[in-house]
Amino acid sequence: MRGYLDTLKVIVVIAFRNLFASWLKTLIVGGIILFGSALVVVGTSLVDSIDGSMSRSIIGSVAGHIQVYNAKSADELAVMGSFQMERADLEQIDDFKKLRETLLAVANVKAVVPMGLSGAMVPAGNTVDVMLEKLRDLVRRQQAGEDVKSAIESQKDHVKQIVDVLATDMANVGKVLTDKATTPEELAAIKRATAPGFWSGFDKDPLATLEFLENRIAPLASDADMLFLRYIGTDPAAFAKSFDRMKIVDGTTIPPGKRGFLFAKWTYEEQVKLKTARRLDLIRDGILKRGKTIATDLDLQRMVKQNATEVKEIMLQLDSQQKAMFKTKLQKALGSKDDDVANLLADFFRVNDSNIMERYKFFYDELAPSLTLYRVRVGDTLTIKGFTKSGYVQSVNLRVYGTFAFEGLEDSNLAGALNLMDLVSFRELYGFSTPERAKEIAAIKANAGIKEIDRDKVEAELFGGGGDDSAAAATAAVENADDVLRGLGAKGKREKMEDKSYDPAQLEQGVILNAAVIVNDPRRIRQTMHDIEAAGDKAGFSLKAIDWQKASGLVGQFVTMIRAVLYVSVLIIFAVALVIINNALVMATLERMAEIGTLRAVGAQRRFLLGMLVVETLAVGALFGGLGSLLGVGIIGLMRLRGLPASNDTLYFLFSGPRLFPGLSPVNIAIALFIVLMVSAISSIYPGLLAMRVSPRQAMQADE
Amino acid sequence: MKNIVSVNQVHKNYTLGTFVVHALRGVSLDVAEGEFLAIAGPSGSGKTTLLNLIGCVDTPSEGTVQIDGNPTHVMSERQLTRLRLHTIGFIFQSFNLVSVLSVFQNVELPLLLQRSAGAKERRSRVEALLDRVGIREYTSHRPSELSGGQRQRVAIARALVTRPQLVLADEPTANLDSVTGTNILDLMKELNRTEKTTFIFSTHDARVWSYASSVVRLADGQLVDRVSAEEAVRVGGVGGLPSSARTT
Repeated sequence: MRGYLDTLKVIVVIAFRNLFASWLKTLIVGGIILFGSALVVVGTSLVDSIDGSMSRSIIGSVAGHIQVYNAKSADELAVMGSFQMERADLEQIDDFKKLRETLLAVANVKAVVPMGLSGAMVPAGNTVDVMLEKLRDLVRRQQAGEDVKSAIESQKDHVKQIVDVLATDMANVGKVLTDKATTPEELAAIKRATAPGFWSGFDKDPLATLEFLENRIAPLASDADMLFLRYIGTDPAAFAKSFDRMKIVDGTTIPPGKRGFLFAKWTYEEQVKLKTARRLDLIRDGILKRGKTIATDLDLQRMVKQNATEVKEIMLQLDSQQKAMFKTKLQKALGSKDDDVANLLADFFRVNDSNIMERYKFFYDELAPSLTLYRVRVGDTLTIKGFTKSGYVQSVNLRVYGTFAFEGLEDSNLAGALNLMDLVSFRELYGFSTPERAKEIAAIKANAGIKEIDRDKVEAELFGGGGDDSAAAATAAVENADDVLRGLGAKGKREKMEDKSYDPAQLEQGVILNAAVIVNDPRRIRQTMHDIEAAGDKAGFSLKAIDWQKASGLVGQFVTMIRAVLYVSVLIIFAVALVIINNALVMATLERMAEIGTLRAVGAQRRFLLGMLVVETLAVGALFGGLGSLLGVGIIGLMRLRGLPASNDTLYFLFSGPRLFPGLSPVNIAIALFIVLMVSAISSIYPGLLAMRVSPRQAMQADE
Repeated sequence: MKNIVSVNQVHKNYTLGTFVVHALRGVSLDVAEGEFLAIAGPSGSGKTTLLNLIGCVDTPSEGTVQIDGNPTHVMSERQLTRLRLHTIGFIFQSFNLVSVLSVFQNVELPLLLQRSAGAKERRSRVEALLDRVGIREYTSHRPSELSGGQRQRVAIARALVTRPQLVLADEPTANLDSVTGTNILDLMKELNRTEKTTFIFSTHDARVWSYASSVVRLADGQLVDRVSAEEAVRVGGVGGLPSSARTT
């Protein structure tokens, strides 16, 4: 044993001395290894950290650890969205209560949250529509005998302002584009609305005039964006409990047993807020949170430009009083003598790095209080029209109870794209029957005297032969029709849909599309998924369980993609290292033919020489691999000091917050060292073989 | 006296591309224990090839070579290496020291390869030999810091450290000046006498023949004759060989 150790010692001595003797070569090879191992440490740490933070984002926002859905579904479930705008074609799971019981019986399952995902276009009404609706309401009240004359006058004045804005706008468009851009009908409508006698006509026949304004003028204001809302139907209480990063930002959560809608804060800001104000927020955030400047960032410059050109959105909101107030305030603030509010606003929004903060404050302190910042406000009712699974349109009215966000993911577009509604409303929109509806339909059937008949008895039922009471029944049905209509009239007076309650037990019973499963031990996800599918089979469900990564669709694949890129670059670097080390060793071997021959002649076996070369490369690998790993650790340490800033919304989601503080595990270093040592060992194989082939005769042919 | 080397009708052919070189053509030679044998002959006469065969670094194309009774043509590469390690010491024309090791480590190397002696024994044996060859004070020097004669002394010490029965020296004085060469030969001769080690050395330098107990003369791959040192010196260089002895 001691003999072996001593031999090893001499091998090590020879190897190290050789390395020092050709130090330049050693440094070059070492440098590559150093870089490679540092890259492995930094790269794997970063990817692991992103993997961790992203999984926290995905698991903590909507996906949970595992998603369960019907295995018979035509499409795969993707909760974070996929390339398709269409929702995935999922088969329903009929009995959530049973499903929940089945899943909770599986080991490691902590909670089950029912879900359904869908999306709808929601008309939020444009400014003109809103103003006209107000005016119509006032006119109705006047006709009912209320004294609202001054209110009507003020509202009329605002509509006049709007028409003026639209007329100016159209004239401007006409200057730039050919006449074809505006149709003759549009021109005629504006001409009529701006004609001197128009508003006296209003006083004579307000409703006819309103109809003209609604049908002809309102469509000209193109700010009538539809909101495209993706939403999850769920049990709001269970959702909030299981996804504990969820917090209410505005308003309240949907009360138990109530229908309702919660906006994701990000969607609310992005889609519902006054565009100009939203852009102003984004410019400020870009500067404060992401260290951008308007002078250098193209994105911020684009937003500044848009704000300056798109002041119409604000102009439409102003009545003459507000217009005058804006003029005074803006003239003072800008030190301008311009009389045109649109110009003043454009000027105001042309911000730069030195005045942005001041103007931001001015906007919110002085201007915003007179503006409707959000088209839909907390407490408003939202009419959501969705296509049911079978293709017909279904709509529900839902009260907006508030907005929510996920802690740490407030600025993320991915986490902030999904809004929330109660599952009962979701089922209706999706076309599932609810007990309430079934009861309603049964009542209508009973009132209308409809009875179900067997298919094979249809003829008999319709054309007699089945009994002589059929004609009488038909007559009764006709007589009943009056009652039915009366009944429907009565229903019109019932409490508003959005205020109706439902039995919370309904959430439990009935159909769902998918369910999020939260587990106790995330390391055992695979096993739990397997167990869930098995338990489903046993309980008569046909379930498919997918992990959060799969459920999150494209987003979840992102880390896999980065990992692939990292591994490929590591592979390339080490392939290069392998070739270089190999070449260096081959050269060294060729240079040392005489020495190797001498060693062979004096009695060194071949394995001694192989050992010598392997020790040489392993020493270089270990030394520089170790240094590289240390360097990597240092780099990660530096990154941890300040954190890597998330420079865009997607990174924000991946980092699970504004900054990523990469973690470092011994595994990362172990991987780096393992790769380096493997590469070193492999690259010494060929030179080793070469050295082993050196004949001791070479010693005799040596010249010094 | 026992033969340490027995070469019998040995042929050695090398192929150089399509050209076959007949380096040795039927050489037979016996060397007894304790001899101090010189192999003489001009360049290309086959001296080094013969030494290679005796040194077990090469095997014959035809014929047999026995070292200490071991027939080399039936031995594996590993066995030959072991035979070299335990039975034969080598001294090379270019000294062939491991440049990155110290004098001490160079001499110690064969003992390490043998793995038989402990550190203490190795140390005493190496130091004794370095003493013996007169370079004790250079123990920790690197070969590059030594003169040619000093390096050859290190090489001699390395060859003898395992106490081999046979030491082969390939033109040991060729790279040395005449004074140093003489010193080296004196040293080898003295070791031959005191340690009873058999020495076989090749040379084409007629001046060193006088040290040999006998001289084997080679020409064109054939053994010309085997004479005493005095005879060899008297006849003179290869040029003085009878023409009948020269083969075509």
